[in-house]
Order: sequence, then C-alpha cells, then structure tokens
Amino acid sequence: MEVINAQDLSKTFRVKRKEKGMRGSFQAIFHPQTQMIRAVDQVSFSVEEGEMLAFIGPNGAGKSTTIKMLTGILYPDGGKVEVLGLDPTRKRKQLAYQIGTVFGQKEQLWVHLTPYDNFRFFGAVYDLTDSETERRIGELSEIFDLADFINTPVRNLSLGQRIRCEIVASLIHRPRVLFLDEPTIGLDPVVKESIRSLIRQMNREFNTTIFLTSHDVGDIEKLCRRIIIVNSGQIVLDDSMEHLKKHYMGRETLEDIIMEIYQSEGKVAMDS
Amino acid sequence: MSTGVKNQLRVCALSVKYNIMREMLNKVTFLTNTCFMMLNNAAFIIQWLILFRLKGDIGGYTMREVMLLWGIACCSFGLSHLLFAGVFSLPELIIGGRLDPFLVQPKSVLLGVMTSSTRISAMGDLAYGVLVMCVFCFSVKRFLLFLLFTVTGAAIITAFALLMGSLCFWFVRGDVFGNYMVNAMVSFFTYPDGIFNGTARFLLYLVIPVGMAVWMPVHVMMEFDAGALFSVVGFAAGLSAVATAAFYRGLRRYASGNLMEARV
Repeated sequence: MEVINAQDLSKTFRVKRKEKGMRGSFQAIFHPQTQMIRAVDQVSFSVEEGEMLAFIGPNGAGKSTTIKMLTGILYPDGGKVEVLGLDPTRKRKQLAYQIGTVFGQKEQLWVHLTPYDNFRFFGAVYDLTDSETERRIGELSEIFDLADFINTPVRNLSLGQRIRCEIVASLIHRPRVLFLDEPTIGLDPVVKESIRSLIRQMNREFNTTIFLTSHDVGDIEKLCRRIIIVNSGQIVLDDSMEHLKKHYMGRETLEDIIMEIYQSEGKVAMDS
Repeated sequence: MSTGVKNQLRVCALSVKYNIMREMLNKVTFLTNTCFMMLNNAAFIIQWLILFRLKGDIGGYTMREVMLLWGIACCSFGLSHLLFAGVFSLPELIIGGRLDPFLVQPKSVLLGVMTSSTRISAMGDLAYGVLVMCVFCFSVKRFLLFLLFTVTGAAIITAFALLMGSLCFWFVRGDVFGNYMVNAMVSFFTYPDGIFNGTARFLLYLVIPVGMAVWMPVHVMMEFDAGALFSVVGFAAGLSAVATAAFYRGLRRYASGNLMEARV
C-alpha cells in the first residue's frame, strides 16, 4: 500500500538580496531586490508502507523543504502530495495523529522537564488516556532503555539520550510513518549505532515506514533499502540500494558512489 | 463540549502548568519577580496622589477612577502574560522558523504558540490589580464587571499582539513596528482618556485599542451602560477573530528555517 505520493511537488522561496556594505543597505531601502529560489522543483515519488527510504542530497538540495511539505509545515507552491491518503496542508491535524517527526537540529522536548513529564504531555497532545500513555511510556522506555534517565530533566541529558527521548516522544502515538531529518547529527558512533538499531526494530516490529534524510552514509547504508538523491530541488536518482551498488560496482564505498553522483549532477547543473 | 475541544483545553492547561512549573524552579526569582512587580505598580500611586493634591480632577478622573484604571490594566495585562505570553514572542518564532514543533502536532497551532510560555511577574500584576480594585472601589456588581473586563481586556491585548506579530509573515522586520504598537498600547493604559481629544482619542480607541481594553470598562464600572458593555465584548470578540484569521492567513507564507534550536 502506498503511504506517500508526491506529484510535481514544488516550492519557491523569495529571498531578499542586498549589495555589499552600508551603501547597499541604503539602496535596499529604496530599491529592494529579491530573488526567487526554487527549493523543490517538480519532485515526484511514492513510498510503500513499511519501506525504509533514504532521501538524501547535498546541503540546500531541498530535502528538508520536501519533508516539511510532507508533514504539513510548509505549503507547496505547486503539485500534489498525499500522505496516508491525506493532503498535509488541508488535513494537517488528522495527518499529525498518524505520523511522527524527529528533526535532529530542532528539539521538540521541554528541556526543563523530565522525559517522563514530556511523554505525558505528548500523550495528551495525541489524545491518549493517562493509562494508555503510561503503558506506552513503559513499552518505549524498555525498548529505548530510558530507565536510568527518564526522571532526569532533559537539559541534563547527553545528546544521545536526548535524541532517544525525541524519538520516543515522536513514537508515543504509534505513528505509521516516521520522518527523520538528520536524527544522528552530532552523535558518537556507538550512540548512532544504537539509534539505527532501534529504528530498524521499529520498522520490523510495527512495520513503521521510515523516511530518512541524513548526511551520514552509515545511516543510509545500514537502514535503508531504497535511496532517492535530490540536487538543486530535483530528483537525480531513485533506486534500490542493491541496484545502486551493482550499477556502481568497483567503487569502494557507498560514500564514493554518492560523491560521484553529487559531483556529476553538480557539474550538469553548472553546465546548464 | 466536544471531545476535540476538551482535549485541546487539556493540552493548553498542561502547557500553562508546565510553564509555571518551569518558572517556579527557582523559588527566589519567582518570589522576587512577583513581589517586585507589585511594588513597581504600587510606586505609581504616589505619583497620582501628588497629582491629585495639585489638581482635584485630571481628564475627568478622580483618584478612585485612576485606581480602577490601574486595577483593570494590571489584571488584563497580567492575565494575558500569564496564560498567553507566547503570543508576544510570535515575531521571533516566525523570523527564526521556530513554528515547526507546533505544526506537526494534531492541535491548534495558534493555541500551542500562545500557551508556549508564561511571564511569571504577571502574577504580581494580577494580584496587584485585584487588590487595588478591592481596596479602592469594591462592590459585588463592580467586582463581577471587573472580572468580565479583565477577560475582555486580556483578549484585546492578546489579539492585538497576535495581529501585530502576524505582520512578520508579510514583512521581514514587521517585528519592529509590531513591538512599537504593542508597547504604545501598554504605555497608554494607565492614563485617563479625558486628557486625549480628537484624532489621538480616535486612534487610541480604534487603532491602538486602549480605549476598548481599559477606558470604556472603567466608565461602565463607574456608571453602568449595557450598550458600552456589549460594545467592549463585541470588540474583543471581533478583534480576536480578525487576529486569528490574519495568523492563519499568514501561516501559509511561513518559511520555516534550519537554525539549531532548543525548546526552553
């Protein structure tokens, strides 16, 4: 069953431009200049239920913008998108009950509260009863091994512990699709591996669809069976991990393959 | 009440509770903030006592009306900043692309933002307002009106801050103009309306809604007028509806961002 379907999805940002120096600042007051940046340009793809998909690309390629349109944070300028059969812009609330999001660069937790209090809050946000929330905290606390710090304020936790709590908070309502935007950013290799193993477990046990963006090749290689590469707002590759490795046989690592694709696509973009 | 509304109110109540819990983490700061806000407000009584010694009536107000004005202004301001202080940070949230956590939750984005923070000195404002009302001009009828106008006043302050904050969806530095307007409203709260005439009076009733938030309520409490009461309630409801519509209209233009952020 298809859980995500994007057709010609596009998003343009208008960005102000200014000449350098104080003179430029004065000029900008009387003759403001703007530039249109096409962050996502007619992107089309679909994702099946239970899939683990890596959606990657260089910085500024349009990954986060796409994820934000899929989760209802941003309004697309063009195209059509459906997640679990719902339009994220029109049915944002209904969709939010069925998806989870983790933004590695942004915290959703209240840092002065303990993870336990945070999970109680998120339980209320997703309309769970107190007993349901308690049961869910118990289950997830065991899977993610939170017992040692579940009653320590979030601000006193290590980054790895915090990210584990962020993921638990996003899973409290048993989402069918989990969007992970650079979930392992800044983590050490041991913690990264433990997060990856937990994500795999989530996918295996609950058939949760995983939509992952990351710059960490380890995340992509160890978690995902399919990869979509975007560059300059467009999809440049959509393939299975297995086929990609076969196609680029001879390259030592996945990192080499990805680098080659980024560079060749960058060259094409510059040429055009 | 529908289950959806009940659940939304439950989340708002939890949010406010957690905000207050955060502020109470440091007991000394909590107590000093609350007490010093009361003292700060009380210091102005001396200024008014001196003025009324020099002149018996200022802009049609006696000491009793001025105290009632202070009471309603402090309580409205306090209630708004205790429950909905998040609305005053809206420009920073929009400019910094920090609305994302509210947008991925299955609840009202607006209520989530509004109840996302509190200003603990607002408790001092609330306590001072009630105290002044009870000491200087208490009657049961007036007290009930006072409670109603505290709610309408808080609604007008919050809605005006929301409307001004929402300008940031359209203008990059809309926060500067918005903050000036909100600060102007607060500055004029404690002056008698009789000292303003013509255009200034018109502006302070309809553009910067000081008149509807505090002045007209004071007149109604001193001399009951059902028409004026309904005007205040209607204005509060109308302004709230306009501000809410502006926020959701602007939200379509929200551009998010990639700054490293923490919810504190």
